[in-house]
Amino acid sequence: MKTAIPSSLLALALLAGSAHAELTGQLRGQWQERSAATLGPLAAANSLQAGTAPQAGSGALLDAELRASAGPLTAALSLQHSRLSGPPRSSAALQELYLSGEALGWQFSAGRKLVAWDVGYAFRPNDVVAQEERRTLLSNMPRGRPLLQAEYFSAETAWSLVWVNPAPRQDAHFGDEQALALRVYQRRGALDLHGFARLGAHTHESLGAAAAWVASDSVELHASWHYARRNEGWRSRNDTAALLPASPWQIEALGRRQQALLGASWTGENRLSLMAEAWWDGNALSAAQWRDWASRNTGLRAIASQLPAPLQVAAAGNLGWQAQAFGNSSLRRRNVFVRLAWDHEAWQPALDLLYTPEDGGRIVTASLAWTGNRWRIDAGLRSWGGPAASVIAQLPQRRLAYLASSWSF
Amino acid sequence: MKKTLWFLTLALGLGAAQAADVGTLLRDADRYRAGTEQQIDTQVEVLNADGSVEKERRYTVLSQPGHRSLVLMQSPAEKGQKVLMLGDDFWLLMPGSQRPMRITPTQKLLGDASTGDFATLSWAEDYEGELLGEERCGEAACLHLSLKARRKSVSYQRIELWIGKQRHEPLRAELYVQSEKLAKQASFVLDKAQSMVLEMALQDALSNKKLTHVRYLARKPRQVPEGWFNPMFLARSPNLE
Repeated sequence: MKTAIPSSLLALALLAGSAHAELTGQLRGQWQERSAATLGPLAAANSLQAGTAPQAGSGALLDAELRASAGPLTAALSLQHSRLSGPPRSSAALQELYLSGEALGWQFSAGRKLVAWDVGYAFRPNDVVAQEERRTLLSNMPRGRPLLQAEYFSAETAWSLVWVNPAPRQDAHFGDEQALALRVYQRRGALDLHGFARLGAHTHESLGAAAAWVASDSVELHASWHYARRNEGWRSRNDTAALLPASPWQIEALGRRQQALLGASWTGENRLSLMAEAWWDGNALSAAQWRDWASRNTGLRAIASQLPAPLQVAAAGNLGWQAQAFGNSSLRRRNVFVRLAWDHEAWQPALDLLYTPEDGGRIVTASLAWTGNRWRIDAGLRSWGGPAASVIAQLPQRRLAYLASSWSF
Repeated sequence: MKKTLWFLTLALGLGAAQAADVGTLLRDADRYRAGTEQQIDTQVEVLNADGSVEKERRYTVLSQPGHRSLVLMQSPAEKGQKVLMLGDDFWLLMPGSQRPMRITPTQKLLGDASTGDFATLSWAEDYEGELLGEERCGEAACLHLSLKARRKSVSYQRIELWIGKQRHEPLRAELYVQSEKLAKQASFVLDKAQSMVLEMALQDALSNKKLTHVRYLARKPRQVPEGWFNPMFLARSPNLE
């Protein structure tokens, strides 16, 4: 990654230096204060053997996002330097680098580019090329994927065909495989209709549909549905409470899966807005699988209590592996998200809640942003909670407070 | 009976003539600010009641016939944000995102893009009205027009407009929102040649008493491909020349 910094900067400098080039960007400094959860498998692992599952700590982050375009070429670079309870770390990534052009009425793009299609806010099953981050505390430049794209636009219809990851990748998971994806868009007055189809090297066929409808002057409704004949997800191959020499959690090919979202937003003349979304994620672990997961956690803790101290490291490692269950697209199959925001001149306070009705878990975020001409200040607090048995309450983090200042140019 | 028919015909004819006159007056007044098939760069400066600058924004607006506008935010704080307006339908693309989102008329009206949109909208296309008569605007004679929006999603549902009697240049206006409240009072500053509006000042009359200066930085005729006004095209970067 270190070697990527000079070459990325060189590419960007060459772009920015050319005639008619445009360079924009943002510099941001932030402070994060985190507190770890006392529940869950990682907390148990770390209490048995400190450092089994190191977690991001509190501290400062500096990041820069630079975007340059010159003629048909666009590049986007992100740089980050962090000091979070450990040695300082620096990284750089070329998030996008692509050529765009037009021929015979079609638009073409080639290179690393972000392509995102779905209509939801908190859950987007039809982002089948790449995913923008969801429910972010602070906006981050997303990373595109290598692709070739052809698009056609008429007044009411748009066709988009993408060949993502043209170079075959055997170890690719979670959509990072070679695939062909198609999006058809049709505008019908106040209604937007989208149709999606994807053919992946490992996951084979999937289909999707989405719609957004402005129902009145203040109300917008949206919906998204995705069906995959073969999907991928983290699953455990052994739920017994035995100590294992390797993680039982593997990325496995799942059978037919559906994901669906319904959402609505309302904005009043007083600049108050409310968004509500509910979704079903068939890729998430079932209630029975979470029960098995909890049972294995309890069993591992019981085994650890009977082991002599030197052997407890094995139990700690086994408990640490249990956190791989958190790696699916949603934690629980049923989810509800609500966001209340107020846009008052330069100030934007907001409060949002992600709730999992199956176990009462919740993530609450309160934030406040101030936007000036070039400066922006963000502050907020996110809290993970719910009943002790809920999955969210067993995530590694309990609270995160942040304060950030950004300067745009 | 014959007299009644003759009177009705005359009244209808006069009404049609006046409507045609108002249309001509509005087209004349539009030419001082913008026209359809234009690319217009504007700078919007919002001043607090004490005169301090609250914010400054720059917009490029691509305006085409048929109530079609594409507003591109150019200020550092908003660079990359775009708003597409097709009649009463609106979409927003946020910076760093590739997903154009449907927004409601209320969201569009409350957003900053409305100011850029107002600077370029066509009074002749978006309003109908009547000529109330001749008045005095300072030293000069002017015509008072009362305009009513043809579409519910334009920022101001009623405009009282005063234009010069001779050349029909816009002089001042009162802008009313849907609730019939006076929202802003506008005045227009022409360039030295008295051929185009150089600046528009909008005094907030509702709550915050803020003053907004809208400056026209550049105007040029511009025809753009139909596909640019497809909402999904927002994710691509149009060539602004």
